[in-house]
Amino acid sequence: METMKLMLVDDEERFLATTKKLLLKKGLEVMTATSGAEALDILRTHNIHVVILDVKMPGMDGIETLREIKRAHPLVEVIMLTGHATVESAIDGLKSGAMDYLMKPADVEDLISKAEEAFEKRQRIEERIRMAQTRKTMKRPREILKETA
Amino acid sequence: MKKFNYLHLKRTILTSMILIPLATLVLILGFGYYFFTTSLQSSTIETVKRIVADHRQMIDAFLTNRKANLDFVLNSYRFEDLTDPGELGGILSRLQKESSAFVDLGVFNSDGIHVNYQGPYKLAGRDYAGSPWFKEVMQKGEYISDVFLGYRRIPHFVIALKRENGEKSWIIRSTIDTRIFNDLVEKVRIGKTGEAYILNAEGIFQTERRSGGSLMQRDSETILKPPLHDGIKTFIKKDTTGDSHLYATTWLEGKNWLLVVRQAKEDAFKALYTASYVIAFITLAGGAGIIGLALVLTGRIIRRMERMDTEKEALSSQLIRASRLAEVGEMATGFAHEINNPLQIMKSEETLMDVLLTELKEKGELQPSETLSELEDSMAQIDLQINRCAQITQAILKFGRQGDPVFQKVNLREFIPEVTAMVKNKANVHGIHLSQEIEENTPAVHGDPGQLQQVLLNLYNNAMDAILSRHGVEGGTLVVGAGLREDGKVAIFVRDNGSGISAENQKKIFSPFFTTKPVGKGTGLGLSVCYGIIGKMGGIIEVDSEKDFGTTFTIVLPASAQA
Repeated sequence: METMKLMLVDDEERFLATTKKLLLKKGLEVMTATSGAEALDILRTHNIHVVILDVKMPGMDGIETLREIKRAHPLVEVIMLTGHATVESAIDGLKSGAMDYLMKPADVEDLISKAEEAFEKRQRIEERIRMAQTRKTMKRPREILKETA
Repeated sequence: MKKFNYLHLKRTILTSMILIPLATLVLILGFGYYFFTTSLQSSTIETVKRIVADHRQMIDAFLTNRKANLDFVLNSYRFEDLTDPGELGGILSRLQKESSAFVDLGVFNSDGIHVNYQGPYKLAGRDYAGSPWFKEVMQKGEYISDVFLGYRRIPHFVIALKRENGEKSWIIRSTIDTRIFNDLVEKVRIGKTGEAYILNAEGIFQTERRSGGSLMQRDSETILKPPLHDGIKTFIKKDTTGDSHLYATTWLEGKNWLLVVRQAKEDAFKALYTASYVIAFITLAGGAGIIGLALVLTGRIIRRMERMDTEKEALSSQLIRASRLAEVGEMATGFAHEINNPLQIMKSEETLMDVLLTELKEKGELQPSETLSELEDSMAQIDLQINRCAQITQAILKFGRQGDPVFQKVNLREFIPEVTAMVKNKANVHGIHLSQEIEENTPAVHGDPGQLQQVLLNLYNNAMDAILSRHGVEGGTLVVGAGLREDGKVAIFVRDNGSGISAENQKKIFSPFFTTKPVGKGTGLGLSVCYGIIGKMGGIIEVDSEKDFGTTFTIVLPASAQA
């Protein structure tokens, strides 16, 4: 089974470093980015399954980054990490295609479990895509038969 | 806030409210009085003048006629005829037919001998050569005497006329009874005191004066006399008794007699005095009315202004409180948000430490010891405190970022039972009797149902905490109700029989971070959030509580405009 490739995006480097260590210990593949732009760069070159994205960052903020990710890489699942405990910012994120949200300060366990949920969802979608593609290739000879019949 | 001083304003209003109408009133009355008195005075004087003129004419006519009668006799008869007693008697009786004023008739020769006499007195044969009247008539041709009382004490005067025929001259003389013109003069009555009389050139009464003054007496007053035969003189003068009189005087034409008409000033100008009294009364009554009205109105205006000021003050203090609340909310939100990032890092670090510690233990590099368990306990405490911080910041963020409510029609008769059902279990567990008193006519309100639910739940939780602290798990009651108020607004109340809130704390309960709960149990933000929510819905939330008796929170909201 494929291992989850996770990317943390936050402007707090110490948070990235510590959380990365923790996640690595849990056996996950982790990359980090300190800004939205950096995250998008990494996504272009790496196959990342799940992104944990801070809402409030200098420069390109979380919601903007989320939209860009969803536009360029629709299969990447995003979990918003928000300092605001308000429903509004969460709703904004969810409307823009985030799968879920976490409120700061979040437990690493919670973070992992949400990430895993997202990863499973991603895998289900990928599975369906594979199935569809298989069906499409499987269909062809039959169609050919039908056409000849 | 310093109380506005109304004294100056009050004085200004009062002064202008009194002075302006009072000045107008006085001016109107003053002008009215002036023109009224002027015209009344002149008309009174005119009346007196007219009476004087009329009577002068009548008396003059009387004198002229009597003189003309005698003149006719003198020129119609020869001296010889006149000396005949029978003839003279016939003449007298004819004269008496002409006017009853003729008393007698006498004839004198140029030597002053009374040659013939017809009348009630025995005067024939007397010699009058030395008498002043004889001298005057001989010299001037005619003589009219002043009034005198004869032997019978009857007032009369004489008229004597002379005729010359060549060298011979003779005189006829007649006594005239003054009764007739006395009547004319004494009949004059104007008002109560108006009267007329005649004085001769020396100031002797020629007629009786009603108010005192007998015939032949000297008038005690000095009357201003107009120049001879020169119209009528009017004046006001005090008489000897000290009363002011209005006088009109004129000389008669036929004789140097002064006709006087006079009336007591008080009587003549009675209407004037009445008018003065009326005007004085109106001025006083009107003035009193104006002053009274001004006092009442000024009082009302000032009271009203004071009330408005008080209301304004209350409103501005409310505004200040609201804006302060908003400021605190904004500050707290920013603060909470910034705290969340370091909290996140702390949390991650703590987790990492925990993981590393576990690893060390698994590797056997750390033996279980008291120190280790203390370390673990300490770390658990850090985790606990981080979570506590997180709870606080989240509460603050909720308070600060209410967001824009999504308003819609909320039917309270369905909504309140729904929300109440959410706490039913908790109430049951704590032995609290939960009841609802929602009136049938409770209108719908316009609000955000989510926020309204938050408010109600908050009030329920507070109420249940208060009940538990007073009663434990037995004997608590919690009542929620709603109804239509008389002013058309909707009232929702949550009433408990819990521990109550002291009067001092009642003032602070809506302030952020105010809590009576033990440390770590409450953020002190619940009610200030409720306050903000209800405020945004255009309503108010009030508390009414008595320590150790219970608390009632009342929410007043405008009824929904939609039916």
